[in-house]
Amino acid sequence: MMMYPQLVIEGVYFAIISIVMVFIIVFYILTSRARRSVESSNVHSEAGGMERGERNWMLFLFSIALIGNIVFLSPLLPSARNTLYSPEPALRVEIHVEDYKFHLPEKTIRIPAKTPVEFVVVSEDLVYGFGIFRKDGTIVFQMQVVPKPYVNRIIWVFEEPGTYDIRSTEYSGPLHPWMFVSDAIVVEEVGK
Amino acid sequence: MNEDERKILALRFALVALLFFALAGIEGILMRLRILNQLTAFFDERHYYSMMTAHPFVGIYGWAYMAVMGAFYFLVPYVMKRDIYSKRAAYASFWLMIIGIAIIWTTTFVTHYAPLYTLYWPIPIAIELAGWHPAAIFSFGIGVTLVLAAVLVFFFNMFATIFLPVRVELNGGERLGAGYVFKELMLTAFNLDKLWAKVKGIPHYTARVFNYPVFVVAVFRGCVDTTLNAFVIGGVGLLLASFGLYHLISGDSPGFALIDPLVYKNVFWWGLDLIADGNVLIFTAGTWYLVVPLLLNRRLYGEPVVRAVILADLVVSLFVWNHHMLADTPQPLALQIQGQLFTWGELITMGLTIFAVLATIWHARPVKYSAPLKFILASMTGYAIGGLAGIIQANYAANRYFHNTQWVIGIHGHIQLIVGLSLTIFAAIYALFPLLTGKTLSERLADAHLLLMAVGGVVMGLAMGMAGTLGMLRRTLYPMGLGVYKPYMIVAVAGALMMATGFVVFLINVIRTVGLSTLIKLFLPQR
Repeated sequence: MMMYPQLVIEGVYFAIISIVMVFIIVFYILTSRARRSVESSNVHSEAGGMERGERNWMLFLFSIALIGNIVFLSPLLPSARNTLYSPEPALRVEIHVEDYKFHLPEKTIRIPAKTPVEFVVVSEDLVYGFGIFRKDGTIVFQMQVVPKPYVNRIIWVFEEPGTYDIRSTEYSGPLHPWMFVSDAIVVEEVGK
Repeated sequence: MNEDERKILALRFALVALLFFALAGIEGILMRLRILNQLTAFFDERHYYSMMTAHPFVGIYGWAYMAVMGAFYFLVPYVMKRDIYSKRAAYASFWLMIIGIAIIWTTTFVTHYAPLYTLYWPIPIAIELAGWHPAAIFSFGIGVTLVLAAVLVFFFNMFATIFLPVRVELNGGERLGAGYVFKELMLTAFNLDKLWAKVKGIPHYTARVFNYPVFVVAVFRGCVDTTLNAFVIGGVGLLLASFGLYHLISGDSPGFALIDPLVYKNVFWWGLDLIADGNVLIFTAGTWYLVVPLLLNRRLYGEPVVRAVILADLVVSLFVWNHHMLADTPQPLALQIQGQLFTWGELITMGLTIFAVLATIWHARPVKYSAPLKFILASMTGYAIGGLAGIIQANYAANRYFHNTQWVIGIHGHIQLIVGLSLTIFAAIYALFPLLTGKTLSERLADAHLLLMAVGGVVMGLAMGMAGTLGMLRRTLYPMGLGVYKPYMIVAVAGALMMATGFVVFLINVIRTVGLSTLIKLFLPQR
């Protein structure tokens, strides 16, 4: 399986929580066994100000929040490039959803790779979801489909040629799991 | 109420909460098996989604709220050395909650009404499209309204216990009105007295009425969020009940266009997310602030900052709802970015909260870890694991991949609720058990309980999350086969069974300590 963006994010996340879990185990061992070196600071918070350690920790958290926001708002992720820095669409695909069915403009939607495509999805009745999945089940992108009068739009650039499925990504009633269109989109290499 | 009556009240709440926890657990395991396309002969798709609708109500309101209510009905008067404002209201909240959840559960079980807890307009009223019966909509709406009415009665009782009388008479006979009381409350509770002194140009601000422990500040701060939540979700319950009744009487529907689906979704998530902040985060933090210093016989580290953080988190909590709507493209982009930025604020407030508790333990070393303390340490780990997952999915760009997947409900939702919140509730149960019953639970069995629940919860949550990263959705069955997600779902079942075993160990511990007959007698009239 290729290193899709969500798998990279998951890898970073697992690295962080591994550190957290090791920290807690070490903390448990140290606090269970360590001798009290200084008779202690039970008065530490009487002064009313911020402790030095607390201040440093807060600055660290602020820094992480700042870095995190910069990373996620930058064009680093394909999803950010395609949504926050949307290129002008070269193609428009309009899809209607009604009574638990996707109505596609054609049986198989053909799209050139590396070309900005705007998906416009309109629901005639309920809240649905619109997700595009690779054949291995991994998600490419998704959006919610808020019913009329709203029109739901997303621009996407498919980097990889291949065949993709469409699936509703939001529960809308017991028929929801059947809202699946296999081989709905074929992304072709440019020039073919 | 005297203290003995409050003990019985707390034990009754705790026992019913544990029954709901067991019910939610059984539902969870059944649904896990059904996702694997097992049990299909007697567990059809409609039944699955109706169970999924009842499950969060049983788990959040039946288990978490009832346990919190029972604990706070005992602890708040205990800490403040005063009685509960109203015994009648306390029992009203007890019965309203039980009846409300019983109605929701029965409605979904009998009629297979399944709008899920998200209740996205107009799914709950899609009679023709989804096949709901109007009587089911009415009944479900009444159940939701009663549950949230129970919550409101509880908070009224808490606010009244903490704040009344609003007119305070000082020793010299001077009477202070509600305005003064409120101002002083805000200044002292949230550590704003120094700021106020600077503004007024005075050396010190001296409080004349209040000296609330930080636990009580957290309780009433959490009550603000959860009261707002109760008005919103209770309002949706009333709306559904009215709609169902209208349809039953007229045989017709007022139509979907009655309510704007996007505005509704915004209001709904604004209200619903306040549970996460008020109940899941702040009530938990309040419990840590109380239990850890009590067990270690120390002051809470950095208490003045903790008070300010509690207030800061209230502000943050009012502006984070949009992280549930990052995949709604008609939503204005400014709101999307705002939702992302404020959600990162929770990293800071929860990070400072956990830091204060860990620092309190650190300064008390060497620490003899009793069961409640071990549960709290595990709970904080759960919050760190689940909270970080929440921060990741709450980014506008990352949400394109994670929204509505098993990542959200597995790593974030269930690890927060089971390893984070539930282990804190169990910590409170282990800590209060000797106070309420005069007996102590076995530490060895408590260790087994903790290990099974914490490891089981993390295994289940991480396995679900990894399936979510691959694209497995939440709130759906895969009748055409699970494909690559299947191994993860098998591991998730193993985690769920570990948790169930842990809970059985806990029940054995309780029953062998106090006896089954004592538990049954709790529900008989007391002499």
